[in-house]
Amino acid sequence: MNRFSFTWDKGVALLLVVVTVVGSFGVPYFGTTDNISFILQDIGEIALIAYAMSYLIIAGEIDLSVASALNLSSATIGVLFKNGVPFGWAVVGGLITGLVCGLINGFLVTVVGLQSLAVTIGTLALYRGLCFALLGNNPVNQMPDSWTSLGYSNIPGTFFPYVSILLVVFGAIFWIVLHYTPFGRRVIAIGINPEAAKFSGIPVARTKLALFAATGLMSGVAGVVYTLRFASASPDGAVGYELAVIAAVLFGGVSIAGGVGTLWGVLASVLVLGVVRSVLQLSNFSANALLIVSGALLLISVVFPRASELIRAGKKAKSSN
Amino acid sequence: MISIVQRAFKVREVPVFLALVLVILITGFANPRFFSISGVQDITLGVAVIAILSVAQSFVIVMRHIDLSVGSTIGFSAFLIGIESSKGAPLWWCLTVGLLLGIGVGVLNGFMVAYLKLPSLVVTLSSLYIVRGVFNEVAGGTTITNTDVPSFISFLGRNYFLGIPYLFLIALVLMIAGGLVMRHLRWARDLYAIGSNPPASALVGIPVARRIFTAFVITGGISGLAGAVLLARFNTAAANSGLGLELNVVAACVVGGVAIAGGVGTPYGAVIGAVLLQAITLALGALGVPQFWQQAVNGILLISAISLDRYLSSRVKPTQIMRVNA
Repeated sequence: MNRFSFTWDKGVALLLVVVTVVGSFGVPYFGTTDNISFILQDIGEIALIAYAMSYLIIAGEIDLSVASALNLSSATIGVLFKNGVPFGWAVVGGLITGLVCGLINGFLVTVVGLQSLAVTIGTLALYRGLCFALLGNNPVNQMPDSWTSLGYSNIPGTFFPYVSILLVVFGAIFWIVLHYTPFGRRVIAIGINPEAAKFSGIPVARTKLALFAATGLMSGVAGVVYTLRFASASPDGAVGYELAVIAAVLFGGVSIAGGVGTLWGVLASVLVLGVVRSVLQLSNFSANALLIVSGALLLISVVFPRASELIRAGKKAKSSN
Repeated sequence: MISIVQRAFKVREVPVFLALVLVILITGFANPRFFSISGVQDITLGVAVIAILSVAQSFVIVMRHIDLSVGSTIGFSAFLIGIESSKGAPLWWCLTVGLLLGIGVGVLNGFMVAYLKLPSLVVTLSSLYIVRGVFNEVAGGTTITNTDVPSFISFLGRNYFLGIPYLFLIALVLMIAGGLVMRHLRWARDLYAIGSNPPASALVGIPVARRIFTAFVITGGISGLAGAVLLARFNTAAANSGLGLELNVVAACVVGGVAIAGGVGTPYGAVIGAVLLQAITLALGALGVPQFWQQAVNGILLISAISLDRYLSSRVKPTQIMRVNA
């Protein structure tokens, strides 16, 4: 039984190849270096958070507060910098803010024992509210060029934006940890059966706390990227990103029921969504088409595995008769 | 006497209701204008849409499911009602269009969750996107202005019956109807059983798939009809109508004791939760807290409510609503 088995994440990778090829040949300007740079910038924040969110969903939890945490990190950077803190330290403050947001979620879920869905709807409102409390109606727009140029320019001599470094480095770390370390296997074990994981000696609560903290930290990293890219910190930035992140993770083959998922499936999924968005934009489709396509892809990602399951069950029933 | 008090506190809605009374009393003493007729009208008018959607949502949440598509549905419905009316269609036709849209979305959600056994979080997240996308495509830059709104609907939005906004009366009637249905009708009791223990409810002979399907259709249908209320409330509709309402609705349910874990809660609680959130928002304003803090306080309130609920009731073990009910 060493046969190649077709799984959803491989399908997504295949789809990425198909849409890229179709885009390169069929859509003018798609294959230009400018456009590739733009796509990578466009998916940056979503991809960074999706890496960590994959772990959470694989472990059977969810975090809806990531976009608010991202923006709270951005708001922190803005407020610190406005009050005279050097920009580098303001960025550190933003990262810490993200981490603290994640730790609060993790504490409420693992120590207080609340459901992550309900908790993070609450912290979604709380963190977003704190952005308004910090900034009021005054976005911070004056940021040092030496930093913001990192947000929009490419690595010298290439057409890759600086954010690609973060995408590759964090992608590698999250990929190796999930698939090649005991910690990663524990995460998957928790997702398959939390009770069994607990009885086999896995520190379930501590692991989940770490996952929430990591998701918060990655939201902080994404917050820094977001702040630099738009050279501003405003209270209403990144609204609705949480659903885009979750959609990308689920479309990448991570099961909402937990226990199943690969990191490269998620990365392929984020890229597919970025490429599809670019293709639609360059072909003069409206932004609405992207909403519809995202929803349809998300739906297909759950219908397909279920359908193949039903077909397999049907075959089995026939052969046993 | 003590046993009556003890029993009262076992009703999930009582603590939330007391919190509501407390908020109103404290704010009222600090700022007497809060007690005025207009203060009450501010709360009741502002809360009507969320209250109606919360009643609808409670049918789904007690089954340990969730419907995130309601914000897109209600917005699209409000827009369609306005469009049909601007073409000169009679009121009944406008409402029928809204209702059919809601039922259509509910049928799709319900079919996929009940019969394909897909997780409701993913299914309704998808339909949130798809319905919003179709809505924006249809709407484009069009805005429904007050001249397009059917006169009866705009009358409801601007007038009061004995000082109570008509829109809130609609919410109250729906709440009582929903409350009676969920208390007394057999199929609605089945929803609680499904939410408490899905495999067991199938074993005792409850037609689980059919019940789930029905509940999603009801939630969709109410959300569709509620488009008229959204239109009445704002007298306008555009591509962003109803955007993001779904999370407020879920928050209202959870604060009102309709637990995400399923199996508990009533439409009364959901409405009280919605009113409490609205009252606190306005109370902060009346107490002079800068409006920028209001959302943060709402978040803290939601977290406190579920923490308190967890502390008070140990009988509901944490479960995961995202899991497929196999």
